[in-house]
Formats: sequence, structure tokens, C-alpha cells
Amino acid sequence: MKDIFILLFRSKRFIVGSILFLSVLLFALIGPMLTPKSPFQMVGGLFSPPSDKFILGTDNLGRDVFIQLMYGTRTSLLIGLTAGIIATSIGVTIGSIAGYKGGITEEILMGITNVFITIPSIVILILLSIAIKTRSALVMGLVIGITAWPWAARAVRAQTASLKTREHIDIARISGFNTFEMIIWEILPYMFSYIFMVFILQFSGGILNEATLSMLGLGPYQTVSLGVMLHWSLLWEAVRTGAWWAFIPPVICLSITTFSLMSMNASMDEIFNPKLRRG
Amino acid sequence: MKNPFIKYLYQKLVWYLVAFFVAVSLNFILPRLIPGNPVAVIVNQMAVGGVQSEALEKLYNTFMQEFGLDKPLYMQYFEYLKNVFRGNLGTSFMLYPGRVNDLIGRALPWTIILQVPAILTGWIIGNLLGAFSAYKGSRFDSVVFTTSLVFSNIPYYCLAIVLLYLLGVRFTIFPVGGGYGFGMIPTFSWHFITDTLYHYILPYCSMVLVAIGGQAIGMREMSIYELTSDYVNYSRNLGIRDEKIIRYVFRNAMLPQITGLAISFGTMMGGALITESVFSYPGIGSLLFTAIRQSDYPLIQGCTLIITIAVLLANFLVEIAYGFIDPRIRAVQLGER
Amino acid sequence: MENLLTANQLKAYYRTVQGEEVKAVDDVFLEVKEGEVLGIAGESGCGKSTLASVLSFTILPPLYLIDGEVIVDSHNIFILDKETLRREIKGRYISIVPQGAMNSLNPTSRIKNFVIDVLKEHFPDITKEEALKRARERFEALSLPARILDAYPHQLSGGMKQRTVTVISTLLNPSVLIADEPTSALDVSSQKIVIKLFVELLKRNIIKSIVFITHELLLLRHFADRIAIMYAGKIIELGPMEEVIFSPLHPYTKLLISSILVPEAGMKEKKIDAIPGVPPDLKNPPSGCRFHPRCPSYMKGVCEKISPNLVDITQEHKVSCFLYGGKDGT
Repeated sequence: MKDIFILLFRSKRFIVGSILFLSVLLFALIGPMLTPKSPFQMVGGLFSPPSDKFILGTDNLGRDVFIQLMYGTRTSLLIGLTAGIIATSIGVTIGSIAGYKGGITEEILMGITNVFITIPSIVILILLSIAIKTRSALVMGLVIGITAWPWAARAVRAQTASLKTREHIDIARISGFNTFEMIIWEILPYMFSYIFMVFILQFSGGILNEATLSMLGLGPYQTVSLGVMLHWSLLWEAVRTGAWWAFIPPVICLSITTFSLMSMNASMDEIFNPKLRRG
Repeated sequence: MKNPFIKYLYQKLVWYLVAFFVAVSLNFILPRLIPGNPVAVIVNQMAVGGVQSEALEKLYNTFMQEFGLDKPLYMQYFEYLKNVFRGNLGTSFMLYPGRVNDLIGRALPWTIILQVPAILTGWIIGNLLGAFSAYKGSRFDSVVFTTSLVFSNIPYYCLAIVLLYLLGVRFTIFPVGGGYGFGMIPTFSWHFITDTLYHYILPYCSMVLVAIGGQAIGMREMSIYELTSDYVNYSRNLGIRDEKIIRYVFRNAMLPQITGLAISFGTMMGGALITESVFSYPGIGSLLFTAIRQSDYPLIQGCTLIITIAVLLANFLVEIAYGFIDPRIRAVQLGER
Repeated sequence: MENLLTANQLKAYYRTVQGEEVKAVDDVFLEVKEGEVLGIAGESGCGKSTLASVLSFTILPPLYLIDGEVIVDSHNIFILDKETLRREIKGRYISIVPQGAMNSLNPTSRIKNFVIDVLKEHFPDITKEEALKRARERFEALSLPARILDAYPHQLSGGMKQRTVTVISTLLNPSVLIADEPTSALDVSSQKIVIKLFVELLKRNIIKSIVFITHELLLLRHFADRIAIMYAGKIIELGPMEEVIFSPLHPYTKLLISSILVPEAGMKEKKIDAIPGVPPDLKNPPSGCRFHPRCPSYMKGVCEKISPNLVDITQEHKVSCFLYGGKDGT
């Protein structure tokens, strides 16, 4: 285990990725704590460019963009995290049961999974978001998580199926563990790194899905998120007015967040998958 | 080998029909879960505009009947299914009496013309780039990999917004939106077509760039995997030259990428729709955007249905093509394994 | 008579991501004579497969050739340019039946297409029809059904694939055929058929010699003319099969022989002993003679200090052990 960490920290890509991500995280968490102002306060002129007073200018309703960015990043991360946790949990549960039990159970579970992979998730996301009553950040995370689990399930099932053939499984089964104990004690610990990578992917995907939904107008009520900021820019013609400070910062934040997460994931993939290492 | 292939075709067809059915059902049920009566909301809104109460009531009843909301749920379901299979997607709430079919019919060609070439181009270039990068290795590979990583993880619409701003507003090289010039009427004149193309470039490029990034990464990984496989070593041992070996490798690495193409249609959909909104491009994306803003449920449902059909169809065609090309898939059907 | 192939001071190491060197082939000497089957035996991890890779020119990172030469027809082929190597040597003079022959065939092309590629590479003017004809003749001559050519690899059984690969490797009539664990993944009856094929190839003079690498010493008993024992990257004993198996010199060889169950007259009384200890880590091999930590005849003050050279005991039989001399010059 320790060697893995050593290798990870030797990888330039991993270091860059984690530093970037940590910066975003700090910005999102510490930022709001340092200022008493609210992102919804109208404090300045409409669409005024960055100045000494407002680092990133104001939006279409005269609200401070910089503060919005801080709160917005926080919300987006929160939603992404919720979605990631939910999707990974459901995916691991279904995938490991399917992979371990095999037979009819596997066929049914995987059948359901495959149907939901085939149907474009954006459609389900849109329909679900319209249908629900309240759209708080957590609920959005839930909705996104519920639509994202199929990928995780498929990946986990494949891993479980191959792990199942290892010797310690037979030994443990003879000792009389039931299915759940087997999965929790004998299978999952060996997949830890894999599950973690799946989680990072879901986390990143959750952030993106939130942005997509919010941009379509299905974002969380009464909250600002990166996607919501972009939605406002679209709605109020920030682009055509040239008010770049209203949309470039959230774009950058969004891109850096997803890029850093995926970089970390790519380096982890290289470490855990030696065939991809070159020379 | 016709028999196993037809069996394969048949299996896939059944599968996709099941998926379609589930999707249609979801499409029906989910919006119905919205609390409150949308018709009442809309009629109320119209009341604000100063319409007579008698006329309002008549309108209300017409709507209820038209949308079948006066009947029990299961009857609505069958009504809906019947309509879908007849190709009738209902009437728009907001743009009454505009039919959803017409609205979508007008927007769909624009979307297809933009997305299909963009996805295909991105796929082809991305795969070539990924394979070449895997082969060359060293610095070229690192640079390409990191760049692809960057591009593939920026959401389409982010790149779209940036491009629109930089090249449309800041440096007015390209038009800032629309499918064609403001005030122009679609005709088949040369002028119109060039103008359309001009408007087409930015949305097209933003999608292609992101698609290239994603494909390059996948193809590179597959190629590296194949390059280290036993049959490559063996071919080298027998003196077969590198150029020939690369041809084997790429062909084998390409196969899973075809499945990737099928998947891209689905995953790119969300981002593609928003790209259209960003550019006010008159496709399904912008239509959906407006529909959501105005809570026009029939239109929303119609759009999601069309999107689902498009993605399922694309997936189906690609899977069939894949079964045609890869002999191992056919063998599985024949039970040779 | 000149050797078909002589390897001198061959050194090939793996360089790990952490910067360590795995000395898989360390100062190996080998000679292959015309008409013979030379067996190379040793435990897993002793470097035999790496040796096979080196001899068949599959030296790719993280494996690096550090030193040594392989002499063929008085030329050191490692100095040759890539093009000559590819055209004249690979597949034509030295050919290999790789370990994992199962996966050595391209899964998405028919056997015949691969065969045509191989032939065209070395005879650029040959036509497809001629190439196919030659292939068919060869396959049938060696009792393999010609329908294999039209098949895809996944349609063949394990034993069939092994034989197919063997035939393809010998299409160009190489002088030296290196077989890396050709029978390890097969059941006993398939093993017999494969070995028969090798014998047939040699008998018909399609190939002139075989280097047979295996961890199963018993196989070599009925098949090899000379045996080389490999341990921790070095050849520690080399001699005629009868002598190595029935009068082994090196302590390791002795232990190896006695650890095998042999249902033969005179051997029933022998006890089965496992070899004590574990094979050494090739990143940090033991100092001096690499076997000294496990050697029952270990001589303190001598064996751990320097590595013994390969000395001639008889004209044919060589061993590297201080029990028989081997200190510089002796």
C-alpha cells in the first residue's frame, strides 16, 4: 500500500492534479467563511467590469461575481460529492452482488443496468428534475447520483467477477460466510483502489451534470452554483454584451475542477494498471 | 456466416425495443409526477392577460380534453403510447396551437446537421491522433495526452462559450449566434447556405475539439495495450516490419472504439444541446431550453422522446456495424468459443 | 564443426520504475550445435524466458541488453543493422515459438493472412497464391489439416494453436528454433503430439537445431541431446543429457534431479527432497555464487566471495562450482 502512495507522489501529473483540486477546494470552503457578504446582495451597477471594489465585477443584477464564484464552487462541489457518493454506493452494491452471485441474479441486475446505460442519462435527468418538487443542492445530488450508477455497477461487476476466481474466496466460502459477509470482507477490500477511482469519476461527472442541468434551467432553487452562474450569463446575454467576467470565471473554475480530478484519475490508472506505463 | 449474424441482429433489436419502451414509459410518467395541474397554471397565466372568464373556462376544458388530463392515469398512458406510435407528439402549451411535431420537425434537421458530422469528425481525428501518439511515444505522446486530457474534460458548452466570446464578440471573426443571419429567410440560395455555414463553424469546432480529446485518450490507451500484446511480439520475431504490425494493432484497437462511438452519441447529447443554446442555434437544444423555461411540458416530452430515439437508433446502428466487423462477436453467437 | 549459434557473456537486465535493476540474464554462455536439441531447464524466475527473448531479439524496455554477443556464422548479430536483422535473421536463421503461443496469433485475422504476411516479408516477390500453396504443403506435410489456414485463432484448440504456431515459426526453415515453454499450458496427450512435431521437424531437416526451454526436466530426458541448467540468471551446468541427469555435478542440479518424481528403474528408492530456501531476488542476487545460501556444500569464505566460472570437467560437460575448481584460471 505504501509503495502505491510513493509512486503516486512521484507522478507529476498526480501532483499537479491534486494541487489544483486542493486549491479549488480551499477556495470554495475557506472563501465563504472569510466574507460576510452574500452572493445575492445587489451591491453595484449592472454588469460592471472588474474594479478595485469588485474583483470580478458584477452580474446582470448587480451582484458581486467573485462572491458568487466562491459560493457557487462550493455548491457545485457539494452536489458533485453527493452524486458521487450515491452513484458509487449504488453501483458498488449492485455490481458486486451481480458479479459475485453470477447466474440469474447477475443476468437480471446487469440487464437492468444495461437498459439504463442505453437510455441517454440526460433525458432521465431532465425528466426527473422537472418532476421533483424542491430542488435543493442535496436533492439535485441525489437525482444525479440515481442516474449515474449504471456505469459504476458495470465496472464493479467486471472486477468482482475476476476477483471471484481467486483462491482466498473459496477458502472463505468454505468457512461459511454468507454472501454479504463474503462481499464486504473478501472482495471489496481488494477493489479499494478501483472503487476509489470510480468514485473520482462519478464525483467529476456529478459536477458536470449539475452544470448541464443548471444551464438548462433545471438547477437548484435559491442557490448559486457554477452552472447557475452560466445559466444567468446565457439568459441575460452576458456573452453578447461582452461581460466576460460573468462567465469566464465559472468556466475556468469548472474546467480546472474537472481537469484536476481527471488528471488524478489518469495517474492512478497508470499506477494500478502497469501495462499503461511506458518504458 | 449469415445465420449467426442475423441472430445477433435479432437479439440487438429486441434489446433496443425494450430500452425504448422503458424510455417511453419514463417519458410519460415522470412529468406526470409534477404536483398541481399545469393546465390550470397556464390558464391562470392567460387570465392575467385579460381574457374573459367564459372564454377561459372553454379554454380550460379544451386543453383538458386535448391533453387527456381528464381521464385516469392508465388511460392517459395508453393514449400516450398510441399517439407516440402514430407519430403524434401533441400540442405545445406555450405556442398553442402549434404542434410539437412541427416545432421539432423544424429544429431537428439543424441539430442533425451539426451533431452527426461533429461527432464523426471528432471520432476519426481523435482516433488517428490517439493511435499515432501511442506509436510515437516519448514527448509527443506526453504533450498530446495532457492536451487531450484538458480538452476532453472541459464541458462542451464551456469551450463553446469561450470560443463564442473570443472569436465572436472580442474579435468579431464569427457571428454571435443563430443558425443564419438575422432577418434572413431560409432558402436554398447560395447566399443563405454560405451564411449558414459561417454560423455553423463555431458550434461545430467547439464540439469537434472536445470529441477529439475524448477519443484520443481512449484510442491511445487501447493502442498502448495492443502494442504490448503477444501477437505483436511474435510478428516482430518473425521479421514482419513495423508498418505492417501497426496496421494490425490499429485495427484491433479500433474495434472497441466503435462501441465508444455508440456511447459518444449518448454522452455528448447533454453538452451538445447546451452548445446549441449558447449559440442560439435553432436546433433541439435551443427548443428544449425555451421549453423548460416556459414549462411547456408537451414540448419538453417531445424533445426528450426524440433525443432518446436518436440516441437509441445511433447506438443500434453502430452495434450492428460492430457485429459485422469483429469476427469474435459472430463466433460467440455461433457458440464456437 | 562450427556452432550454429554461440552466445558469450550475455547480460540483459530489467530496469524498474523505481530505478532498480533486475539481473535476469547475467553473463550467460551458450552454444548450439547442428542437429541437436539443447534443453535449458530451471525454476520459474531463473531468467530462461528472458534468455529466450534476448536470443530472439525481443529486447524492449524495460529490458535492456547490457553486454555480450551472439555469434552466427562468425558475425555478431547484435551489431547488425535492423533491416538486415529483419530480413536475414529473424524467422529465417533464428526463429522462436514463444511462450503463450496461444495468444501469439492476431485474434482478428485468419491464420492464412498472417502466414502470407510472413512469407511476403521475406520473399517480396512471392504471390498470394504461391504463398498459400507453400503454407498448405507444409501444414499437410506435418500432419496438420489445411483447413486451419482458413480459421480464426479462437476457433482452434490449445494444442492446435501450439502446433500451428510451431509450423509458422518454421516456415522459413530456420537453422535454430527456440521453443519457450511450448508444452507448459497443455495436457499430457497434447504435449506428446507437440513434441512429436518438433522431432519431425528436426528429422526432415526443416530446422537444424532446437533450443528447448522448460521447467520440466523430465521432458528433456527423452528429447534433449544436451542440457543446460539455469539458475538466477546464470548457466551453472552444461553437458550431455545422460550425464546431467544421471551424474549431475552441481549441487543445485543434484537437488533438482532428486526433487523430481521419476518412475524409472533404480530411481524408486530415491527420496523426494524439496530444494530448501527460495529462489533469489534478482534485484539483489546473493554475492559470489548465487546458489550459496541454499547450497548443502557451501564452503564458507569461498562461495560467497566470488562467482565461479564455467569450467570444463570433460570435453562436453561444464559446470560452475568451486567444488570443481573454477577459481580464476583453474
